[in-house]
Amino acid sequence: MAGSPKKPSPPRWLLAELTYACPLQCPYCSNPIDYASINSELSTEDWKRVLKQSREMGAVQLGFSGGEPLTRKDLTELVSYSHDLGYYTNLITSGYNMDEAKIVELKEAGLDHIQVSLQASSKELNDFIAGTESFEHKKTVARLIKKHGYPMVLCVVLHRENIHQMKEILEMAIELGADFVELANTQYYGWAHHNRDQLMPTQQQLNDAEAIANQYQASQKGNMKIYYVVPDYYEGRPKACMNGWGTTFLTIAPDGLALPCHSARQLPNFDCPNVNDFSIQEIWNESKAFNYFRGDDWMKEPCRTCKDKDKDFGGCHCQAFLLTGDAHNADPVCNLSPLHHTVTDAIDKAEQPSEHGLLFRNSKNSKLLNK
Amino acid sequence: MIVDAKQSIHLSPTYRLQWEEAQNMFVLLYPEGLVELNQSSAEILQLCKDENKLSDIVTTLEQKFSSTGLEPDIINFLNTALDNGWITQKA
Repeated sequence: MAGSPKKPSPPRWLLAELTYACPLQCPYCSNPIDYASINSELSTEDWKRVLKQSREMGAVQLGFSGGEPLTRKDLTELVSYSHDLGYYTNLITSGYNMDEAKIVELKEAGLDHIQVSLQASSKELNDFIAGTESFEHKKTVARLIKKHGYPMVLCVVLHRENIHQMKEILEMAIELGADFVELANTQYYGWAHHNRDQLMPTQQQLNDAEAIANQYQASQKGNMKIYYVVPDYYEGRPKACMNGWGTTFLTIAPDGLALPCHSARQLPNFDCPNVNDFSIQEIWNESKAFNYFRGDDWMKEPCRTCKDKDKDFGGCHCQAFLLTGDAHNADPVCNLSPLHHTVTDAIDKAEQPSEHGLLFRNSKNSKLLNK
Repeated sequence: MIVDAKQSIHLSPTYRLQWEEAQNMFVLLYPEGLVELNQSSAEILQLCKDENKLSDIVTTLEQKFSSTGLEPDIINFLNTALDNGWITQKA
């Protein structure tokens, strides 16, 4: 493993992707499209080791995610263990198969927060996008979360098929008593990238939706906090991805691969380390993958001499790879990128109806795509 | 929002204030969120409890740091904290 001249800042966030198994089939899923070929999962003891070592390094925010983390039989045990270590524990779930007994059990284990995703404000659209009948149950779960004293966070991923429901989605959040609402425009990785032409909203749709979000942010101030995650394709300047590579975030994939960003496993020849082979300390401080995009030595033009390079760190390397074929390029979302047309072309295409249907995220399709 | 001197101030129920040994600082934790606090912010937030009002917080901190005239800075911080939803004056 390569050495690093300066000691990096410690990880503060750990995303524990417990499994790729999921009863839902959302076509905007950020999981890798070849997930069906990744069959191994860390054991309970492996996860405990990862949790302890990460906590000792400084991680304090912990997300249990997936796939659907509720499919792991040891979820409560891992929550309890994490709580005792002093983590703030977040469960990021579809709510599918969750019942009141489980909500109580997790609360007693020390779970701090549950984020439930909804796919739309109407049953028909929600169940279509989720690929699974789930709407009424999700709303029941949201109410039970509130009843048992958790902060209740609703997450709705926005795209062309549901963004027109912005007002209804926010009214539903108010009715369910949400404390926080995350309105996240789709980020085009994994399955979402595959389905991009079908998911990208038009500029007009975005303008309308953003105006409604702003209006509710003002009227709900002090009651319900609304986060609107901007669609970076339309922004002109890239996001400060992961708050800077290897500075804050650590993702552990179901098979134990340690990732500086949850999309990093798609970067070719990147050789991300596995927690089965190395400690978190070795991975964070010494591994080639985590050091790769630290600092600015890796930068090419236009990033290298850009006045904003310490603000956005060149944007997202996974996006640069997906759209330009080279992760060292500036994120082409940036209008200073010579390859910015890869983004504007996608936006232009979004104005036209797509010829193909959505490809749903399931094992059958994953195997088909991986052939 | 402007802090009401007559009402007690406490941490919002969805937030948790915690000392982090690895970072050598207090952090404020909430659903999927983390704020790293400087010393003065942490000193003030630690006192947002037990029916403390603005004047209690000012008195305690002025005594602790043998200082006077801290009120304007404390009010500024509390107004920001109210806006961010970190603290509340609701019962």
